[in-house]
Amino acid sequence: MNVEPANTLLAEGEAQKLLKSVLGRCPERAEAIYLEADEALTRFALNGIHQNVRSRRRSIVLRLLIGKRAGVASTSRFDAQALDALVERARTMAELSPENPDLGDLPGAASYAPLAGYVEATAECSPEERAEAVRQVVDPVKKQNMVVAGALSTGSSLVAVANTSGVFAYFPSTASNFTCTVMAEDSSGWVDVHARDWRKLDTAAQGRRALEKARVSAKPQAVPAGKYTVVLEENAVAELVAFLGWTGFGAQSYQEGHSFLNGRLGQKLTGERVTIIDDAFDARTLGMPFDFEGVPKKKVTLIENGVAKGLVHDTTSARKDNVPSTGHALLPPNPEGPLPYDLVVGTGSDTVESMIAATERGILVTRFWYNRVVDPRNTVITGMTRDGTFLIENGKIAGGVRNMRYNESVLDVLARAERIGKTASPTVFDYTRNTVVAPAMQVREFNFTGVTEF
Amino acid sequence: MKDIAGRALDTARSRGASYADTRINEERTQFVEVKNGRVTAIADTSSMGLGVRVLVDGAWGFCASAEVSAAEADRCAAVAVEIARASGKVRDKATSLSHLPAATGSWETPHKTDPFLTPLSQKADLLLAADKAMRSVKGLKLATSSMQCWEDKKLFASTEGAYITQRILHTGAGIVGTAVSEDDIQVRSYPTSFGGQFESGGYEVIERLDLPGHAQKTAEDAVALLTAKSCPAGRSTIILDGSQVSLQLHESCGHPSELDRVMGWEANYAGMSFLTPEKRNTLSYGSPAVSIVADATAPRGLGTFGFDDEGVPAQRSDLVKDGLFVGYLMSRETAGGLGLASNGAMRAESWSHIPLIRMTNINLLPGTWKLEDLIADTKDGIYMLTNRSWSIDDKRYNFQFGTEMGYEIKNGKLGAMLKNCTYTGITPRFWNSCDAVCNESDWEIWGTPNCGKGQPSQTMRTAQGAASARYQDVQVGVGFRRGS
Repeated sequence: MNVEPANTLLAEGEAQKLLKSVLGRCPERAEAIYLEADEALTRFALNGIHQNVRSRRRSIVLRLLIGKRAGVASTSRFDAQALDALVERARTMAELSPENPDLGDLPGAASYAPLAGYVEATAECSPEERAEAVRQVVDPVKKQNMVVAGALSTGSSLVAVANTSGVFAYFPSTASNFTCTVMAEDSSGWVDVHARDWRKLDTAAQGRRALEKARVSAKPQAVPAGKYTVVLEENAVAELVAFLGWTGFGAQSYQEGHSFLNGRLGQKLTGERVTIIDDAFDARTLGMPFDFEGVPKKKVTLIENGVAKGLVHDTTSARKDNVPSTGHALLPPNPEGPLPYDLVVGTGSDTVESMIAATERGILVTRFWYNRVVDPRNTVITGMTRDGTFLIENGKIAGGVRNMRYNESVLDVLARAERIGKTASPTVFDYTRNTVVAPAMQVREFNFTGVTEF
Repeated sequence: MKDIAGRALDTARSRGASYADTRINEERTQFVEVKNGRVTAIADTSSMGLGVRVLVDGAWGFCASAEVSAAEADRCAAVAVEIARASGKVRDKATSLSHLPAATGSWETPHKTDPFLTPLSQKADLLLAADKAMRSVKGLKLATSSMQCWEDKKLFASTEGAYITQRILHTGAGIVGTAVSEDDIQVRSYPTSFGGQFESGGYEVIERLDLPGHAQKTAEDAVALLTAKSCPAGRSTIILDGSQVSLQLHESCGHPSELDRVMGWEANYAGMSFLTPEKRNTLSYGSPAVSIVADATAPRGLGTFGFDDEGVPAQRSDLVKDGLFVGYLMSRETAGGLGLASNGAMRAESWSHIPLIRMTNINLLPGTWKLEDLIADTKDGIYMLTNRSWSIDDKRYNFQFGTEMGYEIKNGKLGAMLKNCTYTGITPRFWNSCDAVCNESDWEIWGTPNCGKGQPSQTMRTAQGAASARYQDVQVGVGFRRGS
């Protein structure tokens, strides 16, 4: 028996009515955001499902403006009494807040380009369907006397934004993710794929890919730390590029003076073949057509042929620079300011196979792990390789190597990229929920500074 | 609420669950931030919901909803059972839970002043005063002051008869000065990074920090770091201040001692652990100076509570005793596999998440040294303060940490200020090189408000009690371009 109704996301008219009812309670200007998510995740380890969850969350976030003062409050209860209390809490916050001369005004009504983000099959995926997809991964792994751990998630979500200046924006969407790690005695292999339509994940094929990585990387040898030519798979490149978004492409960090781009806009920072844009409408991202202020998302070129070109804005940062917002506001109160959420790195003409073939001696990296900023001004980060690190010799995979620690400048890596892949896929970052679509790259003189025990 | 909880359990049982528990939580957060004289964020968020976790034929299911009603309790229980039946289709071994006497009771975080009753204007004024003092220092680019408090009203009930209510309060604040030159960005935080110091307690936690009184020195240090010498590269004796030892504990002892990681349950995400079962009671994790406990009863810690989210009473247990690795952080399910009982480490971020094995308060027991005596006892070394960057591999062996500031130690005296301090090592070798831990006078229970784990990802607030400690022959000065 299926005890769940199908799509439960609030219909457009109902969302508009609810947000109007909140705004109608506010004394002055206000912005109300309705958030809803119905998400399920089937998690497995040691070849069996060990956690299996579903949650239905909803909330209204209210930003209320009184002159140059703003207060933010949120609630998950929508009865009249709770909505009155929500407005009262936001009003109290605003009234007690000192004036902020930098506060931008609310944006006006806009029209939004269509973006097909909702796939019914993903929203309605049942626990039985997820279990069957997991079984198709687990069975072949068991036959090889290996073990697999991973997760398959499916879900739908809704963002609706309204304000007292006439904005109303509504975007239902779905997302799915399959990731798994196949483990042999002393090696492992990993995959991670995302799609709005869960049927495109092809979990069985992904499982085979992870299994093959685990098999080929068995009996890893320790190679000494040092500078190596590396072939970075798509996810590894995305892990590095994401830091440019977090540490410098947002206009607020530039205005505050601590972006890596301060004093460098217009300068050549990477190799000429590197172009990075933010584009929520790229079908490979999981973007939405507007930001949390209801401003339409614009395509923004951040690095073009190696030259730093631009920043992303929300209304507050845009007002300071006297430019229009690019539609990159985050959920209020948003102390970090605007950030790029859908970075897309331009592709080249190579494949991972052709890059390996063109490498005399080097390291193939499936993914990086626990990456953190060391030197923000020079975009230096550190992290580890994980779950599929291979030695390349004479243009061929020569076996697995122990995982290694790197310390590298992201901009320098992009300046030393010799070859760029012709395909790119999305990496979605769990905590920030932003996406980076990146191709694989071959990079010379990549700086590994340590080796671990496995 | 009791009726709704009972309804969820009854429905789960009637649909076939052999065990069920439900949590109904009401969560509230207040956040205030001031940057360069402007109140840049002031927010009050609240969320309420229920979650039902069930075991059916030895397989787990969970369903949560933001609507707290009898009808929704029914629905969640039914969906959780349906999910559990699907789990059972890909599972060889049935889950069982270690024995737990059903607890009833209530618990509240001890506090003097409810942080949600302190007027917002008082909070903003305090941050603005700290901000003003920081900005009085010439050369400071950005002054950031912030405070946050959390309230979690929790109800836990189970089909075994447990019924527990708790009100947990976490409060804290901090300041950060950022100084920038053409090629450099330096930061200095007080009392520590990651937004400051957070504890179990009320507004008195923030008052005790005296942010305005420390603001000028914090900003002066940030500016001075721009022209300070860089940390040398090589091998060195290092003394870490208590806040940095706290994060070292968190990453290299707390996480690897989580038994779910050891068993492979987190292999695809957070990773596994080098502390495999055969190492319990045999591995020299650290030197005899190193004794570490998990203590959910310790005052003021972010891992302090009355009961965990499986209804297990808060307790203290040994992880490392006189250097020997002796114990894990456990749940009812994982402890049973070792023939043990849970030591109460299951915690959920919210009503919408299942509990996972999480750190409580991971405390390095105080040693015998006074900090000034330890520095005086060190001929040549580096004193490193306050975390700036942190990274560790997925089995928790190879780590690299950076600190905001350091000082040379020459012939038992602090020398020149150092910037860009980093150190790296392999966990058991590093802790075995620890030859001195400072005493109670330098010990603090440091809060970590941003610990991530799990799929879907969860954020947890944990604590690590620590004093300054000394480590020998450590590789330092990695990462930064030398000479910068």
